[in-house]
Amino acid sequence: MGELVIERPAPHGGRLEERVMRDPALGKKLAKGCPVYDIKPTLDEKGVPVRNVYREIMSTCYGFFSPVEGSMKQAEVERILKERRLLNDWVFPYPLVFDLSEEDYKKLGVTSGDRVLLRLKGEPFAILDVEEVWRIDNTEELATKTFGTPEGNPEVVREPFDKKMPGWVIYKSLNPVVLAGKYTIINEPKFKPPFNRFWYPPKRSREEYDKRGWRTVINHQTRNVPHVGHEFLMKDAAYMGDTEPCHGIQVNAIIGVKRKGDYPDEAIVEGHEMVHLGGYIKPERHLVTICLWDMRYGNPLESMLHGIIRQNMGCTHHMFGRDHAAVGEYYDMYATQILWGKGIPSFGFPAPITDVPYGLKIRPQNMAEFWYCPKCGEIAYSGCCGHLKEKQKFSGSFVRGMVAEGVFPPKVIFRPEVYKVIVKWWREFGYPFCNPKYVKEKEERLEVDLPHMEI
Amino acid sequence: MAHKFAVLLDEKRMGAIKGSGLEEKVSSLFGGALQTFILEVPEDKSKQIMDAFDTARIDSRGFITDLPIAFNRTIFEEIAKSKSLGVEALDGVLKRVSEIKKAAAKESESLPPPDIDISDIEKLQKTPRQTG
Repeated sequence: MGELVIERPAPHGGRLEERVMRDPALGKKLAKGCPVYDIKPTLDEKGVPVRNVYREIMSTCYGFFSPVEGSMKQAEVERILKERRLLNDWVFPYPLVFDLSEEDYKKLGVTSGDRVLLRLKGEPFAILDVEEVWRIDNTEELATKTFGTPEGNPEVVREPFDKKMPGWVIYKSLNPVVLAGKYTIINEPKFKPPFNRFWYPPKRSREEYDKRGWRTVINHQTRNVPHVGHEFLMKDAAYMGDTEPCHGIQVNAIIGVKRKGDYPDEAIVEGHEMVHLGGYIKPERHLVTICLWDMRYGNPLESMLHGIIRQNMGCTHHMFGRDHAAVGEYYDMYATQILWGKGIPSFGFPAPITDVPYGLKIRPQNMAEFWYCPKCGEIAYSGCCGHLKEKQKFSGSFVRGMVAEGVFPPKVIFRPEVYKVIVKWWREFGYPFCNPKYVKEKEERLEVDLPHMEI
Repeated sequence: MAHKFAVLLDEKRMGAIKGSGLEEKVSSLFGGALQTFILEVPEDKSKQIMDAFDTARIDSRGFITDLPIAFNRTIFEEIAKSKSLGVEALDGVLKRVSEIKKAAAKESESLPPPDIDISDIEKLQKTPRQTG
């Protein structure tokens, strides 16, 4: 029996990185006299914000991306693009860099060995200890190499990436100068409501699991208000554990730049919370959490990052569905399952990423889909239900259409409490989804405020 | 390839088609919880709709979705007028594309939220189980 029991995995890289200075006096001392840089959003060619590096600094310093400690050196980025590995050999999907324009670099006047004070919303936020200054020669080439090509990655890439792919646009929009080095947060940002209730960075999530007596925890990735199909995915996937179902079901919402038509982040996190406040999953078994990241929509690569984040949080299992973190038809719809099921040699993985050296320890739970079956009279799993003619699929866009028309969705689509959360934030923002006004204002106000700090 | 389009029918719309003969064409979804008209959209009409509205997409069920609310409203009006789920209704909508686009531009800024009581969830949120 003992060997069948699954224990919580160690963090990716062996230990959790936590680069947060909690003593303000020491933080001030570290930042004193440093040149100052005010963090700016990354803008696309139309001037629309597509990324804010503050989110990467937060997720790095609070350990979500362990063992990454900061902005990457050129050799590390090159190794990631070639083999999806950091210089210390641990697998990692994406280049993460602190980029700035030639003009800003000139003004800043720093070089290797210098320290920069990074300000956010006008207040001291973090320091960056510069170890290398390098340049991205061609951001479009970097963007394409980051996500792959149909010729170079025929196992999973179906179409060349272009400006309709948000992740590709992020890399293409980067500034040319990179300051590589470790980040340290010196002035901890405070999350605004409702996000503050859901902030469980890896050290804290592991403590929370201990407090709740959870040994096995399955993670559900989300960027959506949960409909009943999502709820059943969570409940059914959680039957997979070891000698008993998973003790905990964790929802981890990716909070970042929004796209027109998405639900507002506030409705997403409170919608998931309503699943346990409404009693559809016991609150003792359900934990809603957030991670800051501007989604790249890199399907298999994004799933690798999701695996790293949730393994660092202490999860034993991760649900993956069809078209995981995907947009358009750039990747095979089962690209994530291919990565976790047999590997993608062209990305450097001849075997599943849980079976390669310095790979991941979190276990994938690859799920197909749930639909409503009028003949079964229930939400059915596609792997079980044989009523293919009668099935009624949950379509996110159909559900969004229903919401927009103001039709109260039937209980079998949305729990009434979850739908009312959408209405709550609809009243607040004047619109049920992210419209250009919400997208613009969100990137100005961000999810956090910073305490005043004099240096 | 031909696609489909679903027109949602709430109480008001069900009332508007009463006695028109269209009641027989109502499809029930999700165990009778939702009433809809399901329109068959021929390939050429589907292409015209997709070309006219850049947000439109075909979902995994083969349905045309993500159209402006004004489109959905207009197609219901055309169905009610022509008493048909056939191409007449689609042709009627396609003649009104510029009118729909104007209404859609206004609707992309602001939409009136439904007038429903949400005090039960506000009460639940007063005692959250997670306090952060």
